[in-house]
Amino acid sequence: MSKGKNTILNLTDILVTIVIALVFGLVFRLMGPVYDLVQPLGLHLDALLYGIWFIAAPFAALLIRKPGVAFLAETAAALAEMLFAGSGGIVNLYYGLLQGAFSEAVFAIWRYKKFSVSVVSLSAFAALIASIILDAGYAYLPMLAGWNLILYLIFRIIGAILLSGLLPYVLVKGLEKTGVTQSLRPVTKEDYDVLDK
Amino acid sequence: MSLTNKEDRWGVEKLRLAFPKKNTMLFKDVSFHFEAKEKILLLGPSGCGKSTFLHVLSGLAPKSIELPMRTKWKRIPERWGYIFQDPETQFCMPYVDEEIAFVLENRRIPRVRMPQLIQYYLDLVQLKLQNSHQLIRTLSGGMKQRLAIASILALEPEILFLDEPTALLDPEGTETLWQTVRRIGHDRTLIIVEHKIDHVLDFIDRVVLFNADGEIFADGPKNDILTRYKSKLDAFGIWHPDAWAGYSGRKELQNTDSIDRDSPVLTLKHFVVYRQKKAQFTAEQLTIFRGEWVAIIGRNGAGKSTLIEGIMGLLRSNGQIQWPFKKPEDHVQFVFQNPEHQFITDTVEDELAFSLRIQKLSDDEIEHRVSRQLEKYDLKNERLQHPFQLSTGQKRRLSVASAMINHPDVLILDEPTFGQDARNTFALLDLFQQLQNEGTTIVMVTHEMEIVRRFATHVVHVDGGRIIKDDCDGYKQSGGAEWVTS
Amino acid sequence: MGDIIANRGKLFFKVNPSLKFLLTSSLFILYLFVHNLNTMIWASVFFLVLYVFACGLSGKWSFGFVLLTLILSLFSASAMILFGKGNTVIFHYSLIMMTQESLARGIMLGLRTFCFSLIGMVFATTTLPVPFFYSLMQQLKVPVRYAYGCLAAFRMLPVMGEELGHIRQAMRVRGMANQHGVKAFSNKMIRYLLMMLAQSIRRAQRTAIAMEAKRFSMTEARTYYYEIGWSVYDLYFLFILLITVTSGFICSSLFPVTPFTNVLDH
Ligand SMILES: Nc1ncnc2c1ncn2[C@@H]1O[C@H](COP(=O)(O)OP(=O)(O)OP(=O)(O)O)[C@@H](O)[C@H]1O
Ligand SMILES: Nc1ncnc2c1ncn2[C@@H]1O[C@H](COP(=O)(O)OP(=O)(O)OP(=O)(O)O)[C@@H](O)[C@H]1O
Ligand SMILES: [Mg+2]
Ligand SMILES: [Mg+2]
Repeated sequence: MSKGKNTILNLTDILVTIVIALVFGLVFRLMGPVYDLVQPLGLHLDALLYGIWFIAAPFAALLIRKPGVAFLAETAAALAEMLFAGSGGIVNLYYGLLQGAFSEAVFAIWRYKKFSVSVVSLSAFAALIASIILDAGYAYLPMLAGWNLILYLIFRIIGAILLSGLLPYVLVKGLEKTGVTQSLRPVTKEDYDVLDK
Repeated sequence: MSLTNKEDRWGVEKLRLAFPKKNTMLFKDVSFHFEAKEKILLLGPSGCGKSTFLHVLSGLAPKSIELPMRTKWKRIPERWGYIFQDPETQFCMPYVDEEIAFVLENRRIPRVRMPQLIQYYLDLVQLKLQNSHQLIRTLSGGMKQRLAIASILALEPEILFLDEPTALLDPEGTETLWQTVRRIGHDRTLIIVEHKIDHVLDFIDRVVLFNADGEIFADGPKNDILTRYKSKLDAFGIWHPDAWAGYSGRKELQNTDSIDRDSPVLTLKHFVVYRQKKAQFTAEQLTIFRGEWVAIIGRNGAGKSTLIEGIMGLLRSNGQIQWPFKKPEDHVQFVFQNPEHQFITDTVEDELAFSLRIQKLSDDEIEHRVSRQLEKYDLKNERLQHPFQLSTGQKRRLSVASAMINHPDVLILDEPTFGQDARNTFALLDLFQQLQNEGTTIVMVTHEMEIVRRFATHVVHVDGGRIIKDDCDGYKQSGGAEWVTS
Repeated sequence: MGDIIANRGKLFFKVNPSLKFLLTSSLFILYLFVHNLNTMIWASVFFLVLYVFACGLSGKWSFGFVLLTLILSLFSASAMILFGKGNTVIFHYSLIMMTQESLARGIMLGLRTFCFSLIGMVFATTTLPVPFFYSLMQQLKVPVRYAYGCLAAFRMLPVMGEELGHIRQAMRVRGMANQHGVKAFSNKMIRYLLMMLAQSIRRAQRTAIAMEAKRFSMTEARTYYYEIGWSVYDLYFLFILLITVTSGFICSSLFPVTPFTNVLDH
């Protein structure tokens, strides 16, 4: 088992990532209308929910732990939402690409070695930054009244950390118990040691 | 190493393999070779590692299925095709033509030749379709298996690995499938895993026997092995032509005195079951009495599963259905055709304990019952494994075990013995019989006519979404195996 | 979506999916730099016309979608309308302060969302996944492994739906459905979610194995069962899109409906 081999995505990794993305794409599609409906409350309750949009990347990265997975997942999820005719249409693709890239960057900083709650939350936070950058241009974010903007940002941060930092972490922990993750991760040295008995 | 590197000789030497997180090896220093044009049958008890062994021989493990393994020498063939044990694993495309085209694409066949080749391979397995652009999901079990063979033939393989390709087929489908294999396997190498060997024996020339520890204990010419190891075959639960004769379970037609004709447990009248808003099964009238052993028989796609899933309320239905229980769900247990559909927990142990926990039994009682059940169903060593990581036969046993554990009044089972070796089949039958003696009503779908012959007190023959024969006096009166070709 | 998509004979179905994809997504960039409310209003009108003629939805669905999208788009702009910055106050009550500027910006935003939703819908209803991914491989040189990954994943969708049914049935048969109470409910929901995810992952793994057993290679060249090429329809498409976009710009300068030519100005 050379080290290099484990970092290249194989067909299983790619398929699993995309399927996960698709599941989340479907969730986004179904969430879309809910999200849209809480918007008129004006108090940015929608911003709390916004976090769910970043979930695909950290979730897939936690599951597969290889470079490129986070970006692929978020992009594929956005593409899926686009093909399912989600509200916002093509806009989602740009958000997906940028959020995926930012999310990926955080895992890359730790060289795909560390997948603790804090790193995952940080990756959600990075995706949030990406979305804010786009929103600044697309949704005229700076044009909101000051107090409103701050409320908005706070809600978004809370939402992102809860829904795309903690939630995927808890979900993957749950999945680990089911044993499906076992065959996704590289075979460890202990597993090989059994063969020497 | 020691052996010649002859072009058409493949296999492994001193294979060691263990599953991750397990501290025992499945294979320890197993060696096996095969040559071009050999026709080999691998036999062994359920769970001994036959499927895993084929994965290794074909190179799927460790290339696609990463496993800790090591060999002293290994030679993997280049051109092979693989029929998987699990029918749901077989296909990667939704449409018949795309499935074969996928293989042709991989072989870099020019597009213009594809339609003609697709037709050629479909003809080769005699799969006749109006239009080859048809959804695979809509094919019957037998047709799916033929398509699976057509798509691997499109690989133009020299070697075919077949892992119990007929486990879910009716007798007629089994017969034709093996005919197809025999025809196309003529000048190829065949490596077959199969519990039911009657259909295979005449075109096989070598038999390999595994024991329960994953060791090869006999390997040689067919006749030699089968005569020399006859007693061993029984001990390891391997099906052989005389297996049923050696089974001490009921031989005669069951006596029907214990059946209480005055208390029906289930009455159906004008019962219609729908699948996707289409009436898929209609039962004008069916009554099942307490203590009966009902066998539901019929060809693939006849509607057997539809009927019992309708009875369980899993599919939408119309008409009258009557149980003598206030809450039928507490008295009736069900086993799905696909065992994976049954599982809702993460370990074998939890799966068994699940319904006991719902009943709030004490921990000691649960532990006691679960251990006993593990023993009975030969699952002791898999106690902490995830249900999905079991072998096919083990999955089947677990699903049956989890339904039987709390002694239901009615037990409805969809093909409970498929994929089982002889020993486990007999063990299951003994358990069913014991339950029946204790008053449980058993309703089972099965393709195994020997079970029907020996145990059924009531045979329901289904075809084309209806009951075409409802015989309350067991199998003898219903007139033998004429249904198979009807 | 089989019964929702009415007419596969429509022109947009025949357009090369890659071209359609590139052009529609570049519209986002284009309109990101438009801050003239009039342009946006006119663009909405023309895209609505385009939608009516080109969308693959059948009649009643099509109308419902427009209505819904319009309402939701305005919702999405509500924060900007009610709490945006601006000088010319129209309405003020406690925290809510509506100004002319913020109203204009809000409408601008709402219309943007509206337009992109319409465009997205036209794209989604006239593009089938299979030709789309084949075209991505052939025209845009997307690596085979990703495109086939997407194809295989999309093909799993109907199966996933069935799987949800199986899980529900299993819960029923095993008696989990009979448990009541908040805890049981949340337990059940988590089980559902985990089982759905676990099943999808397992299915993906199996499909990958099946694909490799059929000698799918991630790196080597291959031939294609479906070849997606170019046709005269691509020219029509280009032309129609150009007309739609330019008419928006031309009309906005000829018939400005509002005084807001740059919503970013104070
Ligand atoms: N992923 C896995 N993790 C752990 N153990 C496994 C895994 N897959 C299979 N096993 C175990 O390995 C053994 C061999 O399994 P395999 O599927 O090869 O058996 P088999 O001989 O094909 O049985 P059957 O006749 O029932 O199909 C079984 O005991 C099974 O429980
Ligand atoms: N999920 C499904 N969706 C649509 N049609 C189905 C589905 N499952 C089965 N059918 C159809 O319903 C009919 C009856 O199927 P059913 O599964 O009840 O047959 P069966 O008698 O159990 O066959 P087998 O012996 O292969 O299990 C068949 O024609 C089949 O094609
Ligand atoms: Mg097996
Ligand atoms: Mg069935």
